[in-house]
Amino acid sequence: MTFVDLSFVVFLVAVAILYYVFPRNYRWVVLLAGSLTFFYLNSGYLLLVLLGTTIFTYLIARRIQAISDAGKQEAARKRLAGADKKRIKLQTKKKCKPYLVFGVLVDLGVLLYLKYYNFFAENANVLLASQNVHLPHLNLLLPIGISFYTLQAIAYMTDVYRGKIQADTNIAKFTLFMSYFPQIVQGPIPRHKQLANQLYEGHSFDYVRLCHGCQLMIWGWFQKLVIADRIAVPVDLIYNNYSDYHGLMVFLAAAGYGLQVYADFQGGMDIARGFSQVLGIELELNFNQPYFSRSIEEFWRRWHMTLGSWMRDYVFYPLSLSKSFVGISRVSRKVLGGFVGKRLPPIMAMFIVYFLVGFWHGAEWKYIAYGVWNGVFIVAGILLPEAYQKICDVLHIRRDSFGWRAFQVLRTFCLCTLGRLFSRGTDLTAAVQMFKSIGTEWWDVAFLLDGTLKTLGLDAANWILLIACIVGLYFIDSLHERGVHIRESIDRQHIVFRWVIYLLAIDAIIIFGIYGPGYDSATFIYEQF
Amino acid sequence: MDEILEILNEVRPDVDFENEKLLIDDNILDSFDIITIVSEFNEAFDIDIDVEDLEPENFNTVAAMKELIDRLQG
Repeated sequence: MTFVDLSFVVFLVAVAILYYVFPRNYRWVVLLAGSLTFFYLNSGYLLLVLLGTTIFTYLIARRIQAISDAGKQEAARKRLAGADKKRIKLQTKKKCKPYLVFGVLVDLGVLLYLKYYNFFAENANVLLASQNVHLPHLNLLLPIGISFYTLQAIAYMTDVYRGKIQADTNIAKFTLFMSYFPQIVQGPIPRHKQLANQLYEGHSFDYVRLCHGCQLMIWGWFQKLVIADRIAVPVDLIYNNYSDYHGLMVFLAAAGYGLQVYADFQGGMDIARGFSQVLGIELELNFNQPYFSRSIEEFWRRWHMTLGSWMRDYVFYPLSLSKSFVGISRVSRKVLGGFVGKRLPPIMAMFIVYFLVGFWHGAEWKYIAYGVWNGVFIVAGILLPEAYQKICDVLHIRRDSFGWRAFQVLRTFCLCTLGRLFSRGTDLTAAVQMFKSIGTEWWDVAFLLDGTLKTLGLDAANWILLIACIVGLYFIDSLHERGVHIRESIDRQHIVFRWVIYLLAIDAIIIFGIYGPGYDSATFIYEQF
Repeated sequence: MDEILEILNEVRPDVDFENEKLLIDDNILDSFDIITIVSEFNEAFDIDIDVEDLEPENFNTVAAMKELIDRLQG
């Protein structure tokens, strides 16, 4: 059962009705039952992996909490203050740390084993071929959302360790936090502080919220079924037969994939956020019009924001402030001096983050290349601002002009698009070949008019519809960018006009959604990560 | 306060630190700036700003940063 099955819609309606029928204090039980059912229907007995991780994480966090509380009680009992209180705090942290490290290693170990074992085995076999080492290939099955809920579990334990939250005392409620079905498939990656209490406390029914939630879900399904799955047709054809294409066509396929993954991922998020809003639960925003970004660094602040903030809080910050990096910082300041010396350690940490971002997407070298590609441009943006300023001065470019800003947006779009060759290419070799082929006869634009487009799986009507949808997506994003609240604007319309909009949108999904014979909607792209 | 401003202006000369009140919440400073600033503060004031201190409320204004430094020195 995926987000785009009719059975899922029936499931959502049933959960929502039961949620509001149950007494307020027990509404979380409906969500827990719904979440475990959804997980079981999608991953079968792999539900046990999720439950194992959940119970283990719960116990580790409880242990850390117990040690922290004992430390605080000791400080209070002895009425310690200042340096003495700090000493006790440090001692407590020291006692908690092994549990945190153990917890992170075990949770991460499960993910590494299930998702990355075959990748490591294949590479080890190549590297150690001369030693007659041969690690077997295992047919491992992944539970849905493992890449997401593992990060969620690590964040939870770390936040308890850092004293930012109290560990949960009810394992059933904690299981709901770990398995909440709208967000387990592809995020957003939640923080306990932001989500848990919203799940545990029952919410009252609210008609406006119901309307807003449904509107967001309809928009999510529209993005997925009408836009993303339609772009996927020519994009898949070109990527899967890349040697038959060259020049601008390959670039457009990469750009098309960028838009596909955007509509697909954001569509999934909107379905998850919309249904949660129906229940009175606000999930974190995962996108903030990323294609309006003026640099790659800004793009990653607006794209998959919860992954970015997770990497910042649990990898970048701790790594940059770790003893080894502080040591590197001291040396680099002496050796390299001012500007570069001060920035070298955080640049190294940044590179590690983007390597991990790439690797998190999948157990293949192409994803690592994708991460490195983004890391390189982010580091260039950090190290070269003076050079950019000089170029602007020489060319008499005003950096606050509309033209310059438009150029920056376009440049960011192009760099992201080229990066998509790595993330979508069938493998790293294919990605490199496609990269090269963009330079081959790039000036050839005849394919736009000579009927070639019709050989890419879409007829003229579908191309027109697709282009209209992309323009529509851009228009809606620009309204959001200007701070327009579209759903509130719809609220102010006459009831007849509102229902005309709803019915037209639903009709559009039914009529224009990509179904076809033996319909099986494309899996959400991020669901596979 | 002057030393703090000197460090901040060196890291991000384009920012009006004296008047900005939401340096983090408005995305004026990014994570890279924060780490660069923290390393400078640690060096200049002989303190250890921990990951747990990297909260928006500690870096949204210059006054908040000063308060953090004072707390860690005390």
